[in-house]
Amino acid sequence: MNDDNMKEFAALELDKVIAASADMQQRWHDSIDAAAEREAATQYSTHRGFSPMSFFWGAAITAALAIGIGVAVFLADRPRSTETVDYVVQELPGSGLDRQATFSRALQVHLYDTQQSIATIPGNSAEERALLALQIVQQNRLFVQAAERHDADNLARVLRAFEPILLRLAADDIAPADADALRAQLAFEMKIMLTKLGRDSSNESHST
Amino acid sequence: MVAVLTSRKAPTQAEFHAAISSRADRWYSACLKITRNTDLAQDAVQDALLSAWQKRHQFDHCSRLDTWIHRIAINAALQLLRKTRPGVFEPLSDEIAAPAPTPEHAHADAQLGETLAAALTHLSDIERVCFVLRHLEQWRLAEIADYIDGNVGTVKQAIFRAVKKLRTHMAALQREAL
Repeated sequence: MNDDNMKEFAALELDKVIAASADMQQRWHDSIDAAAEREAATQYSTHRGFSPMSFFWGAAITAALAIGIGVAVFLADRPRSTETVDYVVQELPGSGLDRQATFSRALQVHLYDTQQSIATIPGNSAEERALLALQIVQQNRLFVQAAERHDADNLARVLRAFEPILLRLAADDIAPADADALRAQLAFEMKIMLTKLGRDSSNESHST
Repeated sequence: MVAVLTSRKAPTQAEFHAAISSRADRWYSACLKITRNTDLAQDAVQDALLSAWQKRHQFDHCSRLDTWIHRIAINAALQLLRKTRPGVFEPLSDEIAAPAPTPEHAHADAQLGETLAAALTHLSDIERVCFVLRHLEQWRLAEIADYIDGNVGTVKQAIFRAVKKLRTHMAALQREAL
């Protein structure tokens, strides 16, 4: 107020500041939060379409795991050639256990890696969390198939039970607190499964 | 170098919240004096905040965030006023008078307070807007003329009438006080 007119009209309180009500201010704060959320959701869906670095690492991990599983399953199920029949016959008593042990070891590595990945998800990045959760879902499905082929129905059922939790973890609109709870639940169940697998393989090695 | 780069970043969500907490009253006051309507003033601030958020990457760090939003809020108030009352900035006639009070005016006047409301009641829409923009918001005459789609002469005339009416109103107040 540096104008002569305003000095002249000071008594009229023309420069009076009128307080905005608490409701109004809250509405304005909320509108900024809502705009920020909408923007983050838009950016997330755009990035989710294609993110070169995330795509590269995701594809690389999935491919490596798929190859590993494929090799393990192929080696375990490979029909023996006639030239090696004698050798195979000699190995027959232990072959079922070997196949089981190979699968069990691959599954343990998968669970251990998954456990580590879940523990290191950035808490504030919904995009990273969703991408990682979906990658784990893909890997998990491969292990479910492998478990079914090895007649490990219980194992397949437990692995299948991870999927709904992982899909919830991948949801865009999940609250950070809920995401933390789901991560904790997954970590707990994977730890139990790893302990059980470790105990089973230890029992097998002792029994042989 | 890092500090320079950091200072060039777009304003954050937290900075917007801080600006609302500290300056929302001033934005609302300015919009209320222009529109003389609480709903329009509230919507003007809301529109301004959303517009500022969307354009925050264009924010010039030479100015302050709250000042920038203030300016956008004034523009939003003018736009809303023009939208709800087409012809509000028509060129002045010699017989121009203050508009008849409406329920919206009564509600706004209750917030403005008796003294300020009584002063603004005596002004027509264009007189009030030109006076507020010139003397409270320190806009240049040419800027005001652009916004009301008029010329500098029209703006000067509106301000002259506003000042004259306010003087008359003040004289009446002083007589009452005596």
